[in-house]
Amino acid sequence: MDLINEGKVKRVYADPESPKRVIIEFTDTITAGDGQKREEIEGKGLVTCDTSEFLLKYLQDKGVATHFIKRLEETRLLCRKVDIFPLEVVCRNFAAGSFCDRYGLKRGQLMSEPLIEFFLKDDSLHDPLLSADAIERLGIANPDEIAFMYSVTLSVNYYLRELLSQAGLRFVDFKLEFGKAEDGAILLADEISGDTIRVWDKDEDSLDKDIFRHDSGNVVEAYGRLLGRLKETNPDEIPVRTEFLTILVLPKDGIKNPPGEVTRKAMTRLGFEEVVEVRAGRIYRVKINRPISPDILNQLHEMNMKLLSNPIAEKTEVRLT
Amino acid sequence: MAIAVLRFPGTNNEQDIIRVLKGIQGADPYLVPSRQGPTALQEADGVVIPGGFSYGDYLRAGAVASVGDIMEGVKELIDEGKPVLGICNGFQVLAESGHLPGALLTNESARFICKWVYLKVSEHTNRFTQGLENAIIRVPIAHAEGNYFCSNDILDKLVSENQIAFRYCDKEGNISDENNPNGSIMNIAGIVNEQQNVMGMMPHPERASRIAIGSRDGILILENFVRETVC
Repeated sequence: MDLINEGKVKRVYADPESPKRVIIEFTDTITAGDGQKREEIEGKGLVTCDTSEFLLKYLQDKGVATHFIKRLEETRLLCRKVDIFPLEVVCRNFAAGSFCDRYGLKRGQLMSEPLIEFFLKDDSLHDPLLSADAIERLGIANPDEIAFMYSVTLSVNYYLRELLSQAGLRFVDFKLEFGKAEDGAILLADEISGDTIRVWDKDEDSLDKDIFRHDSGNVVEAYGRLLGRLKETNPDEIPVRTEFLTILVLPKDGIKNPPGEVTRKAMTRLGFEEVVEVRAGRIYRVKINRPISPDILNQLHEMNMKLLSNPIAEKTEVRLT
Repeated sequence: MAIAVLRFPGTNNEQDIIRVLKGIQGADPYLVPSRQGPTALQEADGVVIPGGFSYGDYLRAGAVASVGDIMEGVKELIDEGKPVLGICNGFQVLAESGHLPGALLTNESARFICKWVYLKVSEHTNRFTQGLENAIIRVPIAHAEGNYFCSNDILDKLVSENQIAFRYCDKEGNISDENNPNGSIMNIAGIVNEQQNVMGMMPHPERASRIAIGSRDGILILENFVRETVC
């Protein structure tokens, strides 16, 4: 097998059977602090591979589009080939780790809402925090892609949080990576395991990489316990999370818009003389019972063309909130 | 011949059409509520989609009706070459479903307009306008979204393929902005498809079917339509 890429803890090989797929191998290496702290621990590759297989499959069953195809022998997963965005998408339910250091917060403080942050995936720069504008200006992703990753991350947070709560565990925070497949679809990629999520048992005992970061126990044994607890859950019982989409329909530029024009005149008559132009359109608020996915967006595009807008005279914009 | 007159929820001109068609020799109009679906059109030799406010003009005038089941049956008839006439909201439905090019936007005045207008019939007649070349006819309009719009490419094609059937004009047949009631491109009031078996028009020929109500110019178009259902 041809090695395409070697990361800190995984190797990516070309799938000899298809250029659209890759084989991801989980190694026993564990690292922390931008790779400064590093060790080999036997069994670590297997347990993170098992956990990723379990969680990616679970999320896929809930409608999240992921790169996972199937489990292969040993510590390998067969996945769709994607171009990874150089981003770490972090979602936090409770304050922990670098977030506490950055803002001087107490560990374990609850967020009023899940908080999503984007970081540049670059150890040499120590993975700096990125604003949405910076992601766009750096040419990493466009606003639609950012909104998509944001929405999927919130869905993933919900489904993982509910699953972990069934197992009696507290979901503190996690990191996701996304990639673009050959057909342009954005897929949840990389892994989800004790290496990439923070999970607390009762008394705020970690079942994740913090054990390795702080040398506070046997990390592989803790990862194993996490997986064991996950396997006792019943994913079918977790209710579907509804998502909202907003579709804006506006008259195309350059086309006369009489409803907007009479509105402008009325506004002027009422004394709002600064109004130069009004364009009147429509807004649709759509509730769906699946996470946003490339398939959902394609269907929405079709609906936009066939029904919600008249492409001869109108343009549309989809907002994933 | 059997002429299906469609009625969507909100259609309100179907009885007018049926009454006028009944007076034309050879016409056997029957009402088809849209819920009956495409099978109700199996025996039809032609279809009229009458005016009104299908589905309350929700979304856009004609948009919801254009994706109804029954339109699959209409498509089959169109593909077979049978004549289909869409009047007012019926024109909007045919444009929304893509059987006729272009779109009907809100009137330039943003108001509902109900009045008598003159139409100039194209010198290049089609199955619906035979014998009316260059005629000036008087028929009423009643709509809020009759502002015909299309891209320049489509407009060029409408002209070169003689697909423009009617244009708004004055009593003498002069076509100008002053006698354009709704802002339509080139004063277009009605068009036919490329195969010339589907016509959409904003004015109401069924409301110009008796001298007593102001004109019987419209009946000439409906008579042509009935004759074509025989062919």
